[in-house]
Amino acid sequence: MAAHSDSGRTTEQIVSQFLSKALHAILAARIPYIHGPTPPPSRHPRKRDRWFHLALGDPPPALEHPSGLIPNGVMEPLVVDILLSPRDDPTMPEAIVERWVAQCEAPAPWSPLHSPAETSSNSFLVKRTYKKSIILLRSIYSVLRLLPAQRVFKMLCASNQSYNHDLTYRVSSFAEPFSRKEEAEFQYHCFAPVETQSGQLAVSVQYRPSLSQFNLEISSLLPPMLITDYVGSPAADPMRAFPSSPSERAGTRSSTSFPLRGSQHGQPSTSAPASAPVFFNRPHSWTGGPSEVPSNRAQHPNHPPTGSYRKPAFNFDEFKFSPPFYMSPTPSPPKFSGSYMQSPLRSETAPVSIPQSGSSKVKVLRSPNLSDPTRNFLPPPSPRSARTTDPSSQDSDSRSFRRPDGLRTSDGYSNMYGTPKGLKDGRDDSGRFSLSGSPRFTFSRSSSRISVPDDLDDPDFSYPFAVDDVDSSDSQARSNDGKEVSDFGHASSSHKSQDAAVGVLVHMLRTAAPLRDSTYSSQSSKSELQEEGLGSTSSFFMSRKASDALEELQSYKSIKEMLLSQSKGKLH
Amino acid sequence: MNCEVCELKELVVEQFEIREVLRCILHTIIFHRALGLVRPRDINCELFELTYVQCGVPEVEKEIEEKITEFISKISKHPNRRSHQVCLSFYETKDKQPAWFSSKTERVYWERWFINLQITNQRVNMKPNQTKVGFDPGEKLSSLEEKKLHRTALEASIRENLFQIIKFVNEKMDHLPHIPPNAEGISYPYEITILSSSESSLDMLKRMLQTGHQTTLS
Repeated sequence: MAAHSDSGRTTEQIVSQFLSKALHAILAARIPYIHGPTPPPSRHPRKRDRWFHLALGDPPPALEHPSGLIPNGVMEPLVVDILLSPRDDPTMPEAIVERWVAQCEAPAPWSPLHSPAETSSNSFLVKRTYKKSIILLRSIYSVLRLLPAQRVFKMLCASNQSYNHDLTYRVSSFAEPFSRKEEAEFQYHCFAPVETQSGQLAVSVQYRPSLSQFNLEISSLLPPMLITDYVGSPAADPMRAFPSSPSERAGTRSSTSFPLRGSQHGQPSTSAPASAPVFFNRPHSWTGGPSEVPSNRAQHPNHPPTGSYRKPAFNFDEFKFSPPFYMSPTPSPPKFSGSYMQSPLRSETAPVSIPQSGSSKVKVLRSPNLSDPTRNFLPPPSPRSARTTDPSSQDSDSRSFRRPDGLRTSDGYSNMYGTPKGLKDGRDDSGRFSLSGSPRFTFSRSSSRISVPDDLDDPDFSYPFAVDDVDSSDSQARSNDGKEVSDFGHASSSHKSQDAAVGVLVHMLRTAAPLRDSTYSSQSSKSELQEEGLGSTSSFFMSRKASDALEELQSYKSIKEMLLSQSKGKLH
Repeated sequence: MNCEVCELKELVVEQFEIREVLRCILHTIIFHRALGLVRPRDINCELFELTYVQCGVPEVEKEIEEKITEFISKISKHPNRRSHQVCLSFYETKDKQPAWFSSKTERVYWERWFINLQITNQRVNMKPNQTKVGFDPGEKLSSLEEKKLHRTALEASIRENLFQIIKFVNEKMDHLPHIPPNAEGISYPYEITILSSSESSLDMLKRMLQTGHQTTLS
């Protein structure tokens, strides 16, 4: 079809390819997930990409057969309507927010293009047409990003929330004229036409200058759910599979999707195959989204959208594997490929935090730094583990506890273990948590935090109650008597106690009343439970700390007495 | 060959907005003039509700960043001057008759874009005697509102500039040189120059003529 070089193209080929590529650009910039859950991988440009020197990637499956798109050749206009369809209320009509019209208008009889020209000038005209088409396509691409609907598209793509509207499209060769009232609501932008041998290639767009009237907001159909079995919880298996999406758990909630998505996910389809274009009542027109089943919608306006083509907008499994489709093969910085994972983090409730042991030096717990997706939400290292750990090995060990990409959440668990700042400043025993008993944990919230082991390498540094330094140099300063053994035993038991406390808290969170019961009593009882849990934990820490302190004191006393007795013995 | 000139509407920007604004405009122009094979990248502005397109060529991004940095450092040396201009020019390299002490090739400019910026002080709404003690929340609110208004107005102006660029590139195509076959990325050489504050676009053209760069105004 397309030659690698610019020569060898005919005007008809250029116009046909132009319309196809323009449609591709429009749909890719307006319809979320048009490629399905998995965006096409970035690859070397193909022949198709070389048309007009604009690599847009693989077209969506619905556009794989351009003959179905322009059945009667290049002279039929291409009309693409972008619609904002309400999701919650099927009785509400969908509204056109943009209408793109591209057509090759036949030249007038008196136009010089009307009469056949010589071959040499034909070639010149074709080259000129192609060059101008390249620029025109770039302009369309840019304007798509400047119109108000782009913002809606970004919202629908970037968020894992379900909105009360969907963006859908309708392609036809006939543009149903707007009423006068509707016409007044639209603004018009016309691109400079490109002269071709077949006529003038003209593209225009009518768009709504403001979409605020549609009250685009997060849909209330998805109830908030308390996820208790998230991956990464202490009681959960680190290798456990992803849970099902909340929307799937909610049942047969129907939401907008393209049949492409539905078919790729193997969703049951009661209508025509998703990939085949469905023609509307008028010829050469097909739609995407809820209106994909035209008979239902046209003949039975009150018929709710079928569930077969609707897929939950939020599918946790999709986000697990791939970001939402984005026009650019190399998505912008924010922005997008990874940031979409962080947007739910910011929208979650405040994490639950267990106060650290009651040291006056403990800093306020900070929320994790979510901006960097490589953060490990791991407990801070124990003093011994920090000394024996070097930065190079931190990643290798913490990797086993790194959560899958799709589940980096600002859950309360990650905050339960405090911050390395507490290690630096507080010098408390916050670093003595151990998720799995391995001493080689590293908690990194920022690059500066990696220096925690460096601090701990300071020989003058000492934790107030660092009793588990059995094999460290500090422990050699103490006498090698049974006290040390008992201290070590106590340290290990205290480790277990800490784990037990964490387990208690997790259990409390699991058995807590769901947030959906939004009565004050339930909320207050839950908060009381949390406070109670926190209080008991804090009291536990307090008592533990006091007992440790007492034991430490006793051990020092005994050492002192022993030394005194030894010295007295020598004197005598 | 005609040299088409496009003078963009002046934008009133604050110092910290300069980078974002220049990125937006320069990349948009180059995207429409990099007629080789490109894989476009959408960039969402951090300061504005705008998305613009980059042509995806790393060298272009690097050069634009360097030029913007140079621009910012130059204007910081002239804090009293408000109006500044950045010029993006596209040219062709042609051979000329060799002469003493002159190069064998010359640049023939066929398109120039002038980006006009007016730099405002960051604290234009602060009174000279305003101090932190005795802070008035009402005054803070009004300054926030002013900033918001400024941001909204600037966003609209940038959008207007971008539409102006698109309109220009669509209407003026006949002067474009032939696209090299199998061109990848940038098809035409370009240069970004920072005009001195006292030099206007006309002064620059005069200077170019006097130094021997042959350009023909349309």
